Amino acid sequence: MSNNNFQQPVKIAFLICAIAWLLILSAADGALARIRVVTTTEDLAAIAREVGGGLIQVESITRGVQDTHFIEAKPSFMLKVNRADLLIHQGLGLEIGWLPLLVTGGRNPQVLEGQPGNLDLSRAIVPIEVPTGEVGRHMGDVHPEGNPHYPLDPENGPLMAGAIAQRLAELDPKHQSAYQENQRRFANRIAAKLPEWKKRLAAVGPRVVVTYHPTWNYFLKRFGIENAGTLEPLPGVPPSPAHLGRLAETMKQRNVKVILQANYFETRNAELLAKKTGARVLSMPVSVGGAPGVENYFSLFDMLVERLAEALRQP
Amino acid sequence: MIFIISIVFAILAPAGAWGEDLSSSTESDRIQRLEKRLEKLEAERGPGRLTPPNADPSRRFNRGISIPGARAPRATGPSRRFNPAISVSGLLLGTHTNQGNADSDREVKTGMDIQEVEINLSANVDHWLRARLTLAMEETDDIEIEEFITEALIAKNLSLRAGKFFTEFGKHNLLHTHVYPFIDQPLVNEEILGEEGLNEIGMSLDALLPLPFFSSLSLQFLEGDNDLFAGPLNDDFLYLVHSKNLFDLTADLTAELGGSFATGRNGAPLDSDDHTHLAGADLTFKWKPAGRELYRTFIWQSEFMNASGVNEARGIYSLLRYQFARRWWAQGRYGFFTRKGGEDPGDQNRISALLAFVPSEFSTLRLQYNHLDPSQGEVEHQVLLQLNFSMGSHPAHAY
Repeated sequence: MSNNNFQQPVKIAFLICAIAWLLILSAADGALARIRVVTTTEDLAAIAREVGGGLIQVESITRGVQDTHFIEAKPSFMLKVNRADLLIHQGLGLEIGWLPLLVTGGRNPQVLEGQPGNLDLSRAIVPIEVPTGEVGRHMGDVHPEGNPHYPLDPENGPLMAGAIAQRLAELDPKHQSAYQENQRRFANRIAAKLPEWKKRLAAVGPRVVVTYHPTWNYFLKRFGIENAGTLEPLPGVPPSPAHLGRLAETMKQRNVKVILQANYFETRNAELLAKKTGARVLSMPVSVGGAPGVENYFSLFDMLVERLAEALRQP
Repeated sequence: MIFIISIVFAILAPAGAWGEDLSSSTESDRIQRLEKRLEKLEAERGPGRLTPPNADPSRRFNRGISIPGARAPRATGPSRRFNPAISVSGLLLGTHTNQGNADSDREVKTGMDIQEVEINLSANVDHWLRARLTLAMEETDDIEIEEFITEALIAKNLSLRAGKFFTEFGKHNLLHTHVYPFIDQPLVNEEILGEEGLNEIGMSLDALLPLPFFSSLSLQFLEGDNDLFAGPLNDDFLYLVHSKNLFDLTADLTAELGGSFATGRNGAPLDSDDHTHLAGADLTFKWKPAGRELYRTFIWQSEFMNASGVNEARGIYSLLRYQFARRWWAQGRYGFFTRKGGEDPGDQNRISALLAFVPSEFSTLRLQYNHLDPSQGEVEHQVLLQLNFSMGSHPAHAY
């Protein structure tokens, strides 16, 4: 029976701890100063910064150099979600492998799906490449709601900023006009930059490229450049020699001079293909923070446009 | 018979099969009606999304997010949203052991088997409750509720789970068979917690502690009905506490430290040692280089477990997993287990090596070798080949 004497206090301690947590933890959430915004990607963080200015504090879960399809649900990311007033995500299935776990693990009622603190930015834009008819895994990593890489269309930037401004105003009505004003200024800057970027890319030779993954399609579509094929036979499926052989034929026929790929993919296959076809491999960032000097949404496009224009102009 | 079948077909056949005229006239009616609605909508909204070339672009951008029709419902999408997300995981296993199949008590036999099939259903029950059900079938005839979890966030930082689940004892015990790092469980898990793991009906309070690093504490009140514990027999429960802590050593490297303790009455007579205490510690280092996460991963995971009570036993495992190319993993594991007293006392050592080919997130082919060296009995060599696949909704994998 001596064990029972030991056991009793343990049980009581368990119960006391359980009740104490309920009280302490719910009270521990201190008063809020600046609105804490957590985004899944650095693009979204950059746009949120444009809109929120000094009124908000912004942090991105992933870094610009990372492939956002393949992030792991690191518990330290749960802490970020836990401390957020607003969680902004890209949606369209981009973060499906990790964000649900971060939201559950973050244990923050403000940012649960359906709450004002949870913003799916894909609702602000019109997705491209929405599959029609049935979809299945035999089609590779297909996104049933459309291509999720929409921040790469600069015209989507102001739409995303609009959605962020609207939501920030809901959470912080005192500063509504400031958010709207910042959004307007951002939209005007994009509007001023866009013709410049378009002109730069209009002045080049054969306006056709191949890409590694359909990452670039919003960008290419906006600037009227054709994508003649992808190195991946299906989205998310690594290149096979047979597929690369066929792609090389297409590239020769269509006089494709540029292989475009996000810098988080290995360039081994692209370089093989380049050797075969005489094309040039352009491994570039696809997000703010993806390379040194790419600090905001504008410098991202400045760099992409400049480097692509230069590569396309090569004989 | 043919007559009946043709009548059934005739009834089920789409209208188009009956007469061109009928269907095409309704079709053109519908198009006309739609065209009219479109004109009306365009008139109401002013210029559509195709802005004239010299319109002020900022005005267009400033319209914000309300784009009617940006998400027109599609037949395959939203109408299915209320169904639970369904996924099925299957594990096909081929085994060879040098000990042969003469001894019918042996767990591992030469042959082919369905290691497990799991059916997973999950959905939001309503605005506060979420539920998940996992049905597991081992071999071809048994079906059991492996997990059935209802979960609610009851306050900031505090969630409550109720149901049947893998308890938070250490790290490996939380895993379903299809996400085991190796084809089989570590020796110590198999021997102390049993083939099925410490899987219990009960309640779990999980708190995220307000600390600068990730630290979560779970308190679990469990039925305690298994080989180690006999809660129901004693009108009592099994009590479990688990602490999980994660430190970001660098942006690419994490260290996770966990501690677990479980205590409860066992089936022994009251005057003898009628309590079982389980203690566990785990340490995991994980490295994944940012920008190359698709191609390289390194994991070093170790766990120690000690059971005291009627069956005194302890053991450890340590495993390494290295992803050296996008689709290839090489792994090694060492396990040690010792039992004092009980049915078969003694030590066991096991060394395992594994090579995995991962064509996609949804399928894996794994080849494993085990070298099992018990202090009593002969050395055993096992070779296992496993096809591991899942279909259905996209899984989110725990870190």
